[in-house]
Amino acid sequence: MSGTHGTETTAGPVLGDTPPEATSATGEAGDNAAGIAAVGRVARALMPETGVIADPTQLRTYECDGLAHYRVTPALVVLPETTEQLAAVVKACSEHGVPFVARGSGTGLSGGALPRADGVLLVTSRMRTIREIRRADQRAIVEPGVINLDVTRAATPEGYYYAPDPSSQQICSIGGNLAENSGGAHCLKYGFTSNHVLGTELITPQGDVVSLGGLAPDSPGYDLLGTVVGSEGTLGIATTATVRLVRLPEEVRTLLVGFHTTDDAGAATSAIISAGVLPAAIEMMDALAIEAAEAAVHCNYPAGAGAVLVIELDGASAEVEHEYQLVERFCQENGSFELRLATDATERALIWRGRKSAFAAVGRISPDYIVQDGVIPRTALPEVLRAIAELSSSSGVRVANVFHAGDGNLHPLVLFDGEKEGATEAAEKVSGAILDLCITHGGAITGEHGVGVDKAAYMPKMFTDDDLDTMQLVRCAFDPGNISNPGKIFPTPRLCGEVPGKRKKAHPLVEAGLADAF
Amino acid sequence: MVESTRARSDEPQSDPRKADALSAGPVPVGTPTVRSAFDEDHPPSAELISDCVHCGFCLSTCPTYTLWGEEMDSPRGRIDLMKAGLQGAPLSDTMVQHFDACLGCMACVTACPSGVQYDKLIEATRVQVERHHTRSPGDRAMRTAIFALFPYKKRLRALRGPLRAYQASGLPKVVRRSGLLDRLAPKLAAMEGLAPVLEKREKLPERVPATGARRAVVGMLTGCVQGEFFPGVNAATARVLAAEGCDVIIPRRQGCCGALSVHNGRQEEAESFARATIDAFESAGVDAVVVNAAGCGSSMKEYADILADDPDYAERAKAFSGKVRDVSEFLAELGSVAPRHPLEVTVAYHDACHLGHAQGIRSQPRNLLKEIPGLQLREIAEAEVCCGSAGIWNVLNPEPARELGDRKARNIAGTGAELLVTANPGCLMQVSSSLERQGTRIGLAHTIEVIDASIRGLPVSTLGPQH
Amino acid sequence: MTTIDLDTARTRLSDACAEVTDATPADAVDGVPAALVARPGSTEETAAVLRAAAAAGLTVVPRGRGTKLSWGRPPESADVVLDLSRMNRVLDHAAGDLIVDTQAGALLSDVQQTAGSAGQRLALDEPVAGGTVGGMLATNASGPGRVAVGTARDLLIGVTVVRADGVVAKAGGRVVKNVAGYDLGKLVIGSFGTLVVVTQAVFRLHPVPAARRFVTVPFGTPEDASRLVQSVVHAQVVPAAVEVEWRVDGAGTVGVLLEGTPAGVEARTTTTRRLLGAGADAAEAAPPGWGVLPWTDEPGSTGLKLTCALSGLAPVLTAARRAAEDAGVALTVRGSGGAGVLYASLGADASVEAVADVVARTRAVCTEHGGALVVVDGPPAVKSAVDVWGPVPAIDLMRRVKEQFDPERRLAPGRFVGGI
Repeated sequence: MSGTHGTETTAGPVLGDTPPEATSATGEAGDNAAGIAAVGRVARALMPETGVIADPTQLRTYECDGLAHYRVTPALVVLPETTEQLAAVVKACSEHGVPFVARGSGTGLSGGALPRADGVLLVTSRMRTIREIRRADQRAIVEPGVINLDVTRAATPEGYYYAPDPSSQQICSIGGNLAENSGGAHCLKYGFTSNHVLGTELITPQGDVVSLGGLAPDSPGYDLLGTVVGSEGTLGIATTATVRLVRLPEEVRTLLVGFHTTDDAGAATSAIISAGVLPAAIEMMDALAIEAAEAAVHCNYPAGAGAVLVIELDGASAEVEHEYQLVERFCQENGSFELRLATDATERALIWRGRKSAFAAVGRISPDYIVQDGVIPRTALPEVLRAIAELSSSSGVRVANVFHAGDGNLHPLVLFDGEKEGATEAAEKVSGAILDLCITHGGAITGEHGVGVDKAAYMPKMFTDDDLDTMQLVRCAFDPGNISNPGKIFPTPRLCGEVPGKRKKAHPLVEAGLADAF
Repeated sequence: MVESTRARSDEPQSDPRKADALSAGPVPVGTPTVRSAFDEDHPPSAELISDCVHCGFCLSTCPTYTLWGEEMDSPRGRIDLMKAGLQGAPLSDTMVQHFDACLGCMACVTACPSGVQYDKLIEATRVQVERHHTRSPGDRAMRTAIFALFPYKKRLRALRGPLRAYQASGLPKVVRRSGLLDRLAPKLAAMEGLAPVLEKREKLPERVPATGARRAVVGMLTGCVQGEFFPGVNAATARVLAAEGCDVIIPRRQGCCGALSVHNGRQEEAESFARATIDAFESAGVDAVVVNAAGCGSSMKEYADILADDPDYAERAKAFSGKVRDVSEFLAELGSVAPRHPLEVTVAYHDACHLGHAQGIRSQPRNLLKEIPGLQLREIAEAEVCCGSAGIWNVLNPEPARELGDRKARNIAGTGAELLVTANPGCLMQVSSSLERQGTRIGLAHTIEVIDASIRGLPVSTLGPQH
Repeated sequence: MTTIDLDTARTRLSDACAEVTDATPADAVDGVPAALVARPGSTEETAAVLRAAAAAGLTVVPRGRGTKLSWGRPPESADVVLDLSRMNRVLDHAAGDLIVDTQAGALLSDVQQTAGSAGQRLALDEPVAGGTVGGMLATNASGPGRVAVGTARDLLIGVTVVRADGVVAKAGGRVVKNVAGYDLGKLVIGSFGTLVVVTQAVFRLHPVPAARRFVTVPFGTPEDASRLVQSVVHAQVVPAAVEVEWRVDGAGTVGVLLEGTPAGVEARTTTTRRLLGAGADAAEAAPPGWGVLPWTDEPGSTGLKLTCALSGLAPVLTAARRAAEDAGVALTVRGSGGAGVLYASLGADASVEAVADVVARTRAVCTEHGGALVVVDGPPAVKSAVDVWGPVPAIDLMRRVKEQFDPERRLAPGRFVGGI
C-alpha cells in the first residue's frame, strides 16, 4: 500500500493511480506539521528524551552533511538505538505521509543526507555496535552507524580488514557507505562497497524489516541487495550489514613517486596497468593539491613535483616484489625524478595522510572550493587533464587535481573565493564543464560521491528519460509513496502507477483459450 | 545590552542555495527581538567559523560525540551553534549545555584537515557564556567552589593525605557545602592507591645550579595541583634540568597560571593570573620558562592572546609566551648530555590533550623515553581520545567523565605495560580511579620522573607499584 | 484485452522483426512448447518485438543458445522465444581501459578470445560450455574463479535492456567506477529473463595471469575438507579458487588454484602444499572435472546449488551425504568451498520422493548456515514435485519489482522464485 496518497484509482492506459504531489527537492518548512507531530509522538514513546530533537537550535546542527553549501533545517531529528525503534518511526512516517532522510555520520559529499524541511531526519549514529566478527566465515555483522575504520580495527587482530576505504573512513559510517556504494583508494583492486556487502536487514519505506542476502553469496531471487547498495537511501534504510572481511596481505609496499608533470604520471599509470599489474591503489595529486596537503599535514611530498603518484602494492610477498620492480621501471621510464618506498607503518601513514586529507586541506589554500567527482576511461586521462587545464586558464579559476588514477576517477577541486563578485558562478561553471568532459569521454558524473541533491540535475545528461524512468520502476516498487529520501538522484519523481500487491488477472491467452493451442 | 550588528536572521532557509549566510549581505529586516547569543566584545570569529567545511573528520576524536553520537555535541556541531549565535539565535540553556559539554581537549584541532582553530572559537564562546548566561544555583555553587579551591595551593594542601578530603576542615565554606569534596574523594583515594606513596614535600630552593657547564638558565613553574599532589614531579624536573646543564630559577611569588580560568571562560580571573605569572618570571632573566604540567604550558603559550587588549601587558605577554616550553619540548631542543642508566620496564605513554593536541608535542616525550636503555614504549589504542579529565570537566560531569576514563583505562590495560607515563596531573588523577575500578595494577609516573630515575640510576620500583 | 490467433501474432511480430519463424518442438522451453521464434538483430529490433508482443498480449522467453533453458522452473507459457543468437558481436574491446562491450547473444568464448588477444580475460568461468553472455547473466552462472574476482555482479559495469513494454534503457556505463543512478545490472543478473531482456553488456576485464598452478589433496571426511579449506583461506596465499570435490564413492579432493607471476606462484605453491599437508600435489593442468557442474555428464540427474557460510561447509556436506544415503541416492558434490557455493548432483535413478527428501533435509542445513538450496536443473517430474527455489525472505518486495517492470507477467512467467 502506498500509505501516503489516495488509493482511489482513475482509469488510464498506463498509469492508473492518483499521482503523488509534486515535490521539490527539500520541501517547505511547516508542511506536514500534523504528521511530523505524530511521528514525534511515536518516537518519544519509544526512546529516551535525547533521542528526539525538535529544538530549533539543535536542529540547526543537522542542516547539512559533508556538502555544506546545501542547508535545510529538518523538522525533526530522531536518533534511534535499535532496529525496532527505527522501523517504528519509519512506519509512522509512512502512515502519515512524512518524508524521511537517513543519515549516518553526515560526511557525504553530494548532499545525499540533506534533510527535508517538511520531514524527519533519521540518524544512525547511535546504532554503532559491531555485532559479530566471524573470522571463520570472513564476515562481520555490523550496525549502520558503525564507523568504517572501526570494522577494520575490530578485524585486524584476527588478521582481517574491511577493504573499502573512503578518504573519510575514520568517521564515515557503514550505513552511509552502503547507501552511497562508497569506494576509496583501494577499490581499484578490491572493488566498492557493493562488492563487500553480502547482506543487509533493510527497513522498507513502509517500515517493514526485510532480510536481503546473508552470510552466503547468491541468495535466490532478484539481487535486491545489489540495487539497494548505492541507492542513496531512496529504497529504505539498512539497519545491519553483513560485510566481507578480507585477509590482510602478507606484504604491503607504499610508494611515493614524484613526476614533473601530470602527463608523465598519467603515462606511468597507463604503463603499469597495461602491463597487467593491478596495484591495490594508484592515486595522483597535482602540484596545487600537493601544496594544500603540505600546508595541512606536512606530508613532505617531493619538492617541486608537478604530480605525485601514491602507489600501493599488496598481496603475497613474491608477487609484490615482482610488481614493485615493474612499477619502479615504468615510473623511471616515464620521467619520475624521485621514488620513495615507505619503510614502516609511520612512513606509510604519512604518505596516505597527504592524500586522504587532500579535500579538506584545500581549505588552507582557498576560502571556498567545490569537490568534483567524475569518471573517465583511464586512457583518456592525459587528454581530459589537459582540457581541465585549459578550462582553468581560460576562466581564471584554479583547479587542483586529486584522483584515483588507476580507475579514472577524477576529483578536481575547483577553487574560488565566494566573497568575490561572480566567483561562485565562475567556479560552478568550470565544475559543470568538467562533468561535461567526463560525459563526452564516455565516463560518469559520479564515481563514488553519489548523485544526491547536487547532481540530480546532471542525470539527464548521462541518461535518457527512459533510462531514468526504468530506474524509477525500482523506486516505485520499494517506495510508491516517494517518502524515502525524496528529491535525491532523480531530477523529477516518477508517478508510481499501480500500488503494489494488486494481483493480475490470468494470462490473456489462457483466458482466450489459446494457450492450449500452442 | 547592545545588539550585535552581525546578528541576522535568515530563517527559514527553505532555499538550499542560500547557504552561506555569514558571508555577505546586509542586516535583514526583522532583526530578532530576543537578544542574540553573543555581544560584540570578541565573539567567536565568523572568519574562523567559515574555515569549517563540515567534513566531519573531527567527530570520531571528539569525546562527547564518541559518548553520545549527536551533532550538537561535536566540534562541527558546536561551530554550527556558534554560527547560529552570530546569526541571532539566543544563548539558550540548550546551546550553553552543548558548549559546556566540550572538554576542550582539542583533539578536533589535530584531526581537522582544514585547520579550523576550534580552540580559539570555543574559548571566545566560553567568555560570552560566562558573561551572558545565568547558571542554575547548583551549577553555580559547584563552579564557585572549584575556583575557590584549585588555584590556591594552601587550600589544596588540606586535601592531601588519605581520606582527608572528607574532613578538610581548613577549607572555605563554599567548598565544603558544594558537594565538590564528595566528587573529588574517590579520585584522590584511587590516585593515592596507585601513585608512589606521597613523599614528604621537598622544599625547592629558589635557584638550583647547573651540574657541570651551564647550557641555559630556565625558569620553572611549580603549578598548583602538580605542586601539591605530585611534589616529586617538580623536584624531578629541577634535578633533570640541572643535570642537563641548566640553572633553574624557581620564583617564590609564582601562583596559579590561570589555565582552569582560561578554559572556563573566566576571563578577568584568567587575565589577572596571567599578569601575576608574567610579573613573577619577567625579572628572573631566564632563557625559557619550563612547565611540566601540560594544561599550564598550553595556557601560558596563550598569554599573548589573553592579554592582547591590555596595553601594559600585550607586548610583555607576547615575549613571555615565546619563552614558554613544556619540559619535554625543552629537553628535546636542548639535547641530552646527562648519561642514562637502564630501566627495564614497559611503558604506555599517554598523550595529555593539552600536550599533544594543544601544543603538538608528541614525539619529544616519546623520544626522551626511548633514550633510556631497556625501556620499551607501547602505544595506547585511541590515543587521540581524551581520558575525560579535561581540567575541571570531570568534576562538573562525573558520569560521562567516568565512561571516558574507563574507556581509556581499558585501552591502557590493553597495552600490558607496567608503567603509565603522562605529562599532566589531571590525567593521572582521572585515569587512576578508572584503573583502580577495573583492577588494573600499573604504576603511574610523569615523563620527567622516569628520566630522573634513569639519570640517577634509581630502580624501576621507585616509579610505582610493581607486579 | 485483445485476443489474437497465431496468424495475427505471426504477422504482428513479422512487422517488428525480419526473422520470425514458427517454433519447432526443439524450441520448447523446458518442456513448454513455444509458438513463434523471433530473432532480432539489434536492440531496436528487440524493442520492436517486445512492443508487438505487448500489443498482442504474448508471453516472451528470451534465449541465447539455449544451454541453460531447463534451469529454474518451466515457464507458464512461452508464446514467443526471443532468440538473441543473431546479436552475437563483441562490439568493442578497449584494452587500455580493460573493458569489453558486447552484444548479449555473443558467445562467452568469443568474448574470451577477443579479450585474450590483448592478454586479458573476462574473469568468469563457464560451467556450461557454449553459452552466451546473456545466458550467463540471466542465470548468474559461476565457477571456481569466483573466490578471487567474484561473479557477474562484480564484473558487469554497464547494461542495455529492453523492458516488457519495449522501452530501451541503459544503466551503468563504460567505466569501472560509477555510482550514478541505480545499479540495474545487478538486478538483472540471475533474474532468469523475468524482468527485462538484456541486449548489450559492458564488463571489466582482468589481465591473464602469467602462471597458474593447481594444488590438490585428498580428504576423507567433511571435517577434513573444512579444515583444509579454512587453512587456505585464512593463509596469505591469495587463492584464485578453492574447490571441494566429493565423489559418489565418498572420496574427496580439495583443489586450490594459484595464479600470478611465475615466481610468485612458485612460492605460494610451496606454502599451499605445506598448508594442505602430506599428499598434496601440484600440477600445471587442471584436475579432471575442474569447474564442471557435477550433473553435466549424467542426463536425468538432478542438479542442486548449495550455499552456506564458510563455516557451514562440513555440516552441509555431512547433511547432504546422510540424506542421500538414507534415501538411497547417489550424490556427487563439486564446488567452491572457498566461496561457500557448492553444486551437487543426485543420481538419475533417484525417485522423485527421494530427491524431495534430500532437498528438504539438505536445504534446512544450508539455511541454518546462512545459505540456501536451489534445484538448478532436473527432470520435469522432479521439478514439478519439489520446491525448486525454496523459501525467499524478501519475496513480497521481489513481486513488487516484477509488477513494476512486467505488470502483465509476459516475460518468462513462472520461471523464477515464488512463481514470478
